[in-house]
Amino acid sequence: MRIKTTREKRILYFKTTLRWIIYYLIIFSSFIVMTSGSWKKPVLLVPVALCIAINNDIMASAYTGAFCGLLIDVACGRLVGYNAVLLTVFCVASTLIFELYLRRKFVNFIVIAAAAAFLQCWLDYKFFYEIWGFADVERIFRNTTLKVWGYTVISSVFIYILFKIINNWLMPKEHLTIEEVIRTNQGA
Amino acid sequence: MGEFLKSTRFKVLLAFLAFLVGIMIYSVTKGGYSLSGVSFINTITKPFRYISNSISMKIEKNADSINNADAYYEENQELKKQIGELNKKLTNYDDLVAEVEELRKLVVIKEEHPDNIFSQPAEVMGYIANDPFKGFTIDRGYADDIEPYSPVITPEGIVGIVIDVSQHSSTVRTLLSPDLSIAAICSSTNTDFGIIEGTVITAENGMTKLTHLDKNHQIKKGDLMITSGSSGLFPKDHAIGTVTKTGIEANGLSAYAEIEPCADISRLRSVFVITDFDGKNDSTKEDTDEDKNNS
Repeated sequence: MRIKTTREKRILYFKTTLRWIIYYLIIFSSFIVMTSGSWKKPVLLVPVALCIAINNDIMASAYTGAFCGLLIDVACGRLVGYNAVLLTVFCVASTLIFELYLRRKFVNFIVIAAAAAFLQCWLDYKFFYEIWGFADVERIFRNTTLKVWGYTVISSVFIYILFKIINNWLMPKEHLTIEEVIRTNQGA
Repeated sequence: MGEFLKSTRFKVLLAFLAFLVGIMIYSVTKGGYSLSGVSFINTITKPFRYISNSISMKIEKNADSINNADAYYEENQELKKQIGELNKKLTNYDDLVAEVEELRKLVVIKEEHPDNIFSQPAEVMGYIANDPFKGFTIDRGYADDIEPYSPVITPEGIVGIVIDVSQHSSTVRTLLSPDLSIAAICSSTNTDFGIIEGTVITAENGMTKLTHLDKNHQIKKGDLMITSGSSGLFPKDHAIGTVTKTGIEANGLSAYAEIEPCADISRLRSVFVITDFDGKNDSTKEDTDEDKNNS
């Protein structure tokens, strides 16, 4: 890698700051969407947290997961910290999976997001409805849990595209392109 | 000069002037109607005048804008300010109207239930995401004397109970939830009573269920169920809902009725919290006393 100039460092710093501001604006908007209206809505914060996690280091993804989880707890009226724990685990696991085994491809993300969203929805159903033994509780799973999961998977597609655009624009490149290598060699 | 005055050109000029004066006098006698020649000229020149007029107007407008830009800017700012003030007044007026309307409703409930102490009107901040029982959050908390398990009502009837209180917000569990049980009595028969408790199936249609009803009940469709006040959680004689259907439970031991809540729980905008009432926590106190005696 070539050594970055002071100007490049400043640009990198500016872009990183701007990227995180945009990330948190998206998180905030997702929370607002989740708390508005009385109809069934996707748990937007799950794919948002995962999108951030797969493109950042473990600590950043863990903090983001925790923050998004807390917001889900508030939006869904759950025990504060429950979803925070869940999403922190999901985000760290996703970061590791994408670092070690998977490439950052659309299909891989959708599979991981669908699995994480299903786990979140299923555990929510288990702990907040089924465990209390309400009559006909399986109807909640069919009519609410599965629908919410489906909406979340569909929303993941749009969230992935949104983050792809942001990252293409503001994410520092990990590797030099061939053109950059040639240019760097010619410069040397 | 003398030569010019004597010349033919001067005489022609005088004649022309006289002709024009003649035309002028003639046109005065026409009483407001233009001469035929003038009309002809107007007709011929009409399209050109339109074009030229529009061009000149635009130029004038631009020139005027440039010349008086400062004056217009100031006038514009002044007008914007005035619009802002008027909008603010209008918003305040709308808020006042809404508040008066809310307070009017509160007065009606207060007259019906003089022992009840109500909170200020509480706005519904939002429904709990994906909750099948339509739980919601309100913008009043313990700073407004709201305590856990305070009943929540609208002018139409009981809505639910506060389950979680923070300083400036509270979470409400609705009567669609199986976790909330309300002792109810039929207002028309005054003898048929039971427990109103939500179920998963009835909640899907925004309804709740009256259980533990005697098989020989007199309840019929359309009857109003009200709070009996025996539990100490809810004050007496508040409307809960109307009966839409009755039947016998699967075990055959008791009857049930489906209840449509008086308030539309999925479309709530504002509610009231009853912070105190006669008989509050009586049942709970009795239970506690019994526990103490037993121990």
